[in-house]
Amino acid sequence: MELFEIYLPVAGIHFNVLVLLLIGFTVGVCGGFFGIGGAWIVTPALNIFGFPMPYAIGTDLAHIGGKSIVSTIRHGKFGNVDVRLGVAMILGTTIGMELGANLVIKLEQMGLAEGLIRKMYIVFLGAIGSYVLYDYLTHTRRQRRVEAGLEVAPGGETVAQKLQRIKIPPMVHFQASGITCSMWLPVLVGLTTGIVAAVLGVGGGFIRMPALIYLIGCPTAVAVGTDLFEVMITGAYGAFTYGVKGRVELIAAMWMLFAAAIGAQLGTVAIKYVRGYAIRLLFAITIFVACSSVVLKQLEFQLASAITILVAGIGISLVIIAWLVKGIVDERGGRLPANHA
Amino acid sequence: MRRGHFLTWARAGVAALLSWALAAPALAAGGGKGASKLVNVADTRGLEPGLSRWIAGVYNESFWLFGLLTVAVMVGMGLILGLATDKAVGLLGINLGKISHHE
Repeated sequence: MELFEIYLPVAGIHFNVLVLLLIGFTVGVCGGFFGIGGAWIVTPALNIFGFPMPYAIGTDLAHIGGKSIVSTIRHGKFGNVDVRLGVAMILGTTIGMELGANLVIKLEQMGLAEGLIRKMYIVFLGAIGSYVLYDYLTHTRRQRRVEAGLEVAPGGETVAQKLQRIKIPPMVHFQASGITCSMWLPVLVGLTTGIVAAVLGVGGGFIRMPALIYLIGCPTAVAVGTDLFEVMITGAYGAFTYGVKGRVELIAAMWMLFAAAIGAQLGTVAIKYVRGYAIRLLFAITIFVACSSVVLKQLEFQLASAITILVAGIGISLVIIAWLVKGIVDERGGRLPANHA
Repeated sequence: MRRGHFLTWARAGVAALLSWALAAPALAAGGGKGASKLVNVADTRGLEPGLSRWIAGVYNESFWLFGLLTVAVMVGMGLILGLATDKAVGLLGINLGKISHHE
């Protein structure tokens, strides 16, 4: 294994290239499929293998910017990126993250930051995961009744539909999402998710992707693509700001990006063969895994927390790749996938 | 005699300070939590001339330049790898046109 050891001069450590490629590939597949940056996998994984924490965060952010470009190019070709919606969200997210960062400083001054934030994170992830899972189960039950020819009660108006009815000018049509709503809706959703992301100290993909589905009303695949568009911008900014602080191990980021690009392409293409609700189910499971890792961290089981995340990340990537392979085989066998136009 | 006594103490003091300065990083690395780097300088002594050494040189010269280099490399690699992997997936013979959104 020494053959694959390289010296990383910025972090001042020796590191195995195969580990970098494995982490990069795993996060690439998950990121391309769910529309998230994947800091929750990369940062603890790099850290347990010997990266000092500030370099783990900076290196992760740097490669996320590059990896999201790969996914966004492919999602764009699939018609899954709503650029106008993404720009409106970025506007709100930027202001929200600034407000959230100030809130964290206030909490720090009150001596509440560390414990409170972690507990909030657990509650938040648990709530999002539970809601997405509930939504999936309700949808599946309804589908089964329809298939069995049983009577199905008409579904009520969704939160997104209610919010879309608020007519505060300017009203904008978002073509890729197929929705018309007030411009203020994505700006305010971006603002709120930005505040929450900054307070919780995460990139925000975990929060924005479900917010795009349940608050704005995007189809799942468009939520994934549009979120990646935003991750691409914030990732590039993160790469710069951590680079200026001297906390990016560029050689490691380049190795990770190499594998992440392949993974991101596969994860993104897998979307084509999977229905929106299947993505939501796997997303809910992923959120529960992330939540349990934070619980382990809270209980001071640092190593168990990091290993849980890494193993779960690899497992989830394998499921996505299995779906991709099945989809390609079906397509080549003449059984066209449901998602194809 | 008194001057000699003072010099002995001064020598001992300097020696103690020096040994503390030399041993502190090692002690920091050895006990408790993992040591963080005391100074943000990339160690290029053992590096052969090449990409790693050049990047470490930029890092040591200016963090601003290093920040710009980081963004340029990540964006450039993202674009090149994005287009290359896109072409590679196209070779699988699958339809990569627009998809309809079925929930």
